[in-house]
Amino acid sequence: MQADLKWLDDPQTFRVNQLPAHSDHQWYLDYAEADQQSSSFTQSLDGQWRFAFAKDPQNRIKEFYAPDYDVSKWDLIKVPSMIELNGYAQNQYTNIWYPWAGKIYRRPAYALSPDDLQAGSFSQGTDNTNGSYVKHFDLNESLRGKKVRVRFEGVERAMYVWLNGHFIGYAEDSFTPSEFDLTPYLKDTDNILAVRVYKHSTASYLEDQDMFRFSGIFRSVKLLGQPKLHLEDLDLKPRVTDDFKTGIFNVDLKLQGQDGQVLIKVFDAQGNLIVDESKAAAERVGVHDIKVKDAHLWDNHHPYLYQLFVELRDQGGQLLEVVPYRFGFRRVEINADHVVLLNGQRLIINGVNRHEWNCRTGRCVTMADMEQDMATFKENNINAVRTCHYSDQIPWYYMCDQDGIYMMAENNLETHATWQKMGQDEPSFNVPGSIPQWREVVVDRARTNYETFKNHTAILFWSLGNESYAGDNLVAMQEFYKDHDDSRLVHYEGVVHTPAYRDRISDFESWMYLPPKKVEEYLQNNPDKPFIECEYMHDMGNSDGGMGSYIELIDKYPQYVGGFIWDFIDQALLVHDEISGQDVMRYGGDFDDRHSDNEFSGDGLMFADRTPKPAMQEVRYYYGLHK
Amino acid sequence: MDCTNKIHVVYDDGLLGLNGQDYQYLFSYEKGGLESMRFNGKEWLYRPLYPTYWRATTDNDRGNGFNFKSAQWLGADLAPKCINIDLTVDDRHFDQLPIAPLTNQFSNHEFAKQVKIEFTYETATNPAAQVKVAYAIDASGKCRIAAHYLGQAGLPELPVFGVRLIMPTLATEFEYDGLSGETYPDRMAGGVKGTWHVDGVPVTPYLTPQEMGMHMQSSRLKIVRNQTQNNADHDERPFALTVKQTDQPFNFSLLPYTASELENATHIEELPLKRRTVLVVAGAVRGVGGIDSWGADVEEQYHLPADRDYQFSFEIEPATIE
Repeated sequence: MQADLKWLDDPQTFRVNQLPAHSDHQWYLDYAEADQQSSSFTQSLDGQWRFAFAKDPQNRIKEFYAPDYDVSKWDLIKVPSMIELNGYAQNQYTNIWYPWAGKIYRRPAYALSPDDLQAGSFSQGTDNTNGSYVKHFDLNESLRGKKVRVRFEGVERAMYVWLNGHFIGYAEDSFTPSEFDLTPYLKDTDNILAVRVYKHSTASYLEDQDMFRFSGIFRSVKLLGQPKLHLEDLDLKPRVTDDFKTGIFNVDLKLQGQDGQVLIKVFDAQGNLIVDESKAAAERVGVHDIKVKDAHLWDNHHPYLYQLFVELRDQGGQLLEVVPYRFGFRRVEINADHVVLLNGQRLIINGVNRHEWNCRTGRCVTMADMEQDMATFKENNINAVRTCHYSDQIPWYYMCDQDGIYMMAENNLETHATWQKMGQDEPSFNVPGSIPQWREVVVDRARTNYETFKNHTAILFWSLGNESYAGDNLVAMQEFYKDHDDSRLVHYEGVVHTPAYRDRISDFESWMYLPPKKVEEYLQNNPDKPFIECEYMHDMGNSDGGMGSYIELIDKYPQYVGGFIWDFIDQALLVHDEISGQDVMRYGGDFDDRHSDNEFSGDGLMFADRTPKPAMQEVRYYYGLHK
Repeated sequence: MDCTNKIHVVYDDGLLGLNGQDYQYLFSYEKGGLESMRFNGKEWLYRPLYPTYWRATTDNDRGNGFNFKSAQWLGADLAPKCINIDLTVDDRHFDQLPIAPLTNQFSNHEFAKQVKIEFTYETATNPAAQVKVAYAIDASGKCRIAAHYLGQAGLPELPVFGVRLIMPTLATEFEYDGLSGETYPDRMAGGVKGTWHVDGVPVTPYLTPQEMGMHMQSSRLKIVRNQTQNNADHDERPFALTVKQTDQPFNFSLLPYTASELENATHIEELPLKRRTVLVVAGAVRGVGGIDSWGADVEEQYHLPADRDYQFSFEIEPATIE
């Protein structure tokens, strides 16, 4: 198969040769590796790559992926990083309007009529900057002879991959892992991995989040080898009995490879072995309905986790792979009075929305950033996070499990400018809407989000995305989650604009920034869904005044769940100012970027350098009232 | 000697001077306000004390159009106009202000136990409102300042009502009894009562400089400086001034900038070099709001309607440095 530039224009082509999404577990050769969290099956490709920039697709470096193409004179770029922050393309911050607004007239394919393909919209887009990346690598000894995939953990926004001159695949969905099997073309040494990243494709319509508009390989790239028997997917479904005393352990495994043996062991936090099962390896292996008496339930105060190990052994009993995973027993539900319960108790969300942000590296954030954010949550009684409006880096989900932070795990989806114009609802070319050609791409985003993160205890709610209006395609996303997961609730806010879909989308009544009095009106009038503020207290500049009026609702109305403050951290970039000689914070519009929404990128409880704004003490106080 | 515990009053032609052993106040009839306040030889005023009505526009103010609606108060803040001065020395009320040639009747041996002087200002608004700032100085040199905004129908809501003292040099530190952090009427539940020490005169690094640094419900503020602009003053020892609560706690901000300096900057680095200290003592502060930043107003109870009176007072005196 050959790569086709036209895929950029086609909403129905969003993954080509990509491996199916699967659980985010890590696999190791043995327990010693698992202990060190250092897998000999993993080889990092982070670091310096060769790089060439092109201002549009017509100027792309053709055939650069050919093995004899000389890239030795190319620039070097750090992977992961954003192309813009390396100075190749202009920084731009825009909230609702697409970045091309006023420069290129575009409408989404099929949005105005079923035969309107909008051919060439992005493949010939004069704004479609792109980067060609090349990495030479030798395979680590430990990966040789194995089936090996490459995993891109985050690439904005459309990516073509070649290995040793062969086309490997194509991916969109910037914020979830994209994996491709490299095995057929892989050599032990002197491999050439070539990636072309386009800033725009039809995915740009789906990624209209209120943020700086960047591109590039901005999360890690890894090679992952697998042993002859490998756990491809882990699906834990821990349950809790009605009396909240007993945990019920369920696990379904998808295996790849040869025959062998599967051992499933679960230890409690004290190290007692409480599940010990052995099965013959098969494509699908399951263990169901094992009772765990006097189970410790997981919540924010006691994020008690059990330790699972899946051991894969060959028929001789030799250990081939070990997969550790920690999970908790907890139960989230809505009772007959429309009150959200966690483990039978009323759940109160003292939450924040959190963009991944670093003022030096943009959306390329480090473990240290995440750890600092988690410490800030703890210090300020923040018990919940909405991953706005995309999937976060994988480690963040593990940290939330461990620290008891409730997650609203949101899909990578926002199409704000396709339905809201100058403050008015005007969905004349809304996507995904009910347009058949836009259905699979959004359901795929739901699927990938679900499959990747389904085992995380911290996730109590799935969220279909942000500010994308509503139509049959949002219903299809909702149905995907409901069909695959009856242990969590589904949230979507945008349905408030389309009451006709209210019964088919969202377990919550959610209306961002609804003033306290309006929220109260809803709560006083026989609420048939619990109310959650998926965004409230817009913390732009000197703000967060009047928070008490929301917190009072918690005591008055059991159907009020609480909410997520907008948002956690300012999006600003640290730049050296020649005039003052200082390193200073810059925001939208400071890079000659037009259209820009200027300082609207700074709505955080934290300044962009991760120091708290003065308002944080108010959050700590109010969130401390219902800890 | 009687004069050591009395104020030495100098009835000059355009100025009223109040002098004591370790203090000196100069009230300027021309400038329409307190021009100089000197303790132990150290000057505390760079420009006369005037009322203040404007706060640098917050992002929320801009989003809900409050800056447009209340723009008149920016002009009023920038352009004070004194329309009357009323003087009482001990029991003697001056029906006519003692300016030249009435001043010829006095000598260099005029003493008093208490002097009260009240300045009335007209605001540059349509319609105009009136504000009175009254000073009462006793023989110890302590000064009580009372400000009174007289409600006027037909005017937009006030961003703030207070008085502004601009000090000639930058403070090195300050300490106050009140609530921790930056607080506003609608954002002070999280403020912890205590004595708080602040090094320097920090600017809160909001992306766009805006109203900042308010401290609600304070009972005492001590400001420390160690530099003057007096070319003959070579003493670098720190010196301090105390602001004290009278009947009610006061609100204050202490910043290196005026509201209009903050208003003009789109980034922190565009602000001038820090060189002065701007103390705003506020009697009434509008809330900051935060429901959203594109239209939602501050909650009703945190507005400052202009047709209502606002009054507050506080005391100033020199402080000792331990």
